[in-house]
Amino acid sequence: MEQQVFAFAAEPAGPRPFAYSDSQWPMRADLVEAHRSSWESLRKPGTWWTGAERVAIAAQVRAAADCDVCRERKAALSPYAIATGHPADPLLPAAAVDAVHRIASDPARLSQKVVEDTIAAGLSDGHYVELLSVVIMLASIDRVHLALGLELEALPIPDSGEPSQRRPERAVVDAGWVPMLTLGKTKNSPESDLFADLPIAPNVIRALSLVPNAVRELRVLNAGHYMHEKDVGNPGSNGGRALERRYIELVGARTSALNECFY
Amino acid sequence: MRSVVDGKGAGIDGGDTLLAFVDAAKGQDADELARARNAVAEKFGPEALVDAACVIGNFERMNRIADGTGIPIEAPLAALTSDIREELNLDSFESSGNSGSLRAGAKLLGLVLRKLAPTLIKLRARFAK
Repeated sequence: MEQQVFAFAAEPAGPRPFAYSDSQWPMRADLVEAHRSSWESLRKPGTWWTGAERVAIAAQVRAAADCDVCRERKAALSPYAIATGHPADPLLPAAAVDAVHRIASDPARLSQKVVEDTIAAGLSDGHYVELLSVVIMLASIDRVHLALGLELEALPIPDSGEPSQRRPERAVVDAGWVPMLTLGKTKNSPESDLFADLPIAPNVIRALSLVPNAVRELRVLNAGHYMHEKDVGNPGSNGGRALERRYIELVGARTSALNECFY
Repeated sequence: MRSVVDGKGAGIDGGDTLLAFVDAAKGQDADELARARNAVAEKFGPEALVDAACVIGNFERMNRIADGTGIPIEAPLAALTSDIREELNLDSFESSGNSGSLRAGAKLLGLVLRKLAPTLIKLRARFAK
């Protein structure tokens, strides 16, 4: 793979991302803001990865869409039948590149091994959760663009700075493969904002809570793509969308079925 | 309900148009996607098309969180939906292993509560207004 060279800038130069000036479809203002917010957080240093590494993870998500190894693996009986690795990335360990490609291209066959392999390569579970958060951000925003026939947004210029490496003390493995927080465990802690407005914290929201900022980013994007969580539990609400709730759920259910996602 | 796994036969006006859009958006055929996109815009309007595309993006994200962290489905939801998952053969999905199997008592309770679900949902919607 060609080496990627990043320029660092305190503020991104040029026009604001997600201008949608050539879109024939009406892009909601809250949707545009959610995408911009994601892009801004993408380029900033995270909790475990630098801004440049986060953008490199995003680039690997796009590379996975056209990756021969991923194609072969997806066709194989077992996701680990094809041992061949992906081209090296100058900014990312091979295990991270492999995890990105697996999550991006064959999510239905992920197993705990993907976390174990990441940790065996000397990274932490926090690295894995943050990597996952970047993959899902890219995969979802890119899918919206592809579905609407829009060009993919150029990746942002990374900001400088070091990851905070701040790990929530109360996160434990109580469901799934990685430590996470519960609603109760966030009270009177720096993470008290994460689920404070929710009656319950569903597993799919708290799954990223080992990296609290990943949950904050997730909730912004959820509100832009789907609806505010206060509306999710009310079957009579469509969150102010143009599509009726029954149609929203039909689209969501079909997408999940095609992704073979049990959850 | 089967339309979700079959990709057709939604049984609601315009449902199949949306299902075809999801399938095309997840597929590789650009012409097919353009046709499906225009059909949704024509049937539901361009704002609704954007909403539908966003919902697809949303579930691309949430599915990967679930599959990438191995989280189980919450116990109450598992109990309430056990018969539906069985009917749709969702237990054949690899990620179903993350949720384990339900005890007979929980399954039975779920079936009983399901009978009450339509009333509870209507009440929830009414009180939320």
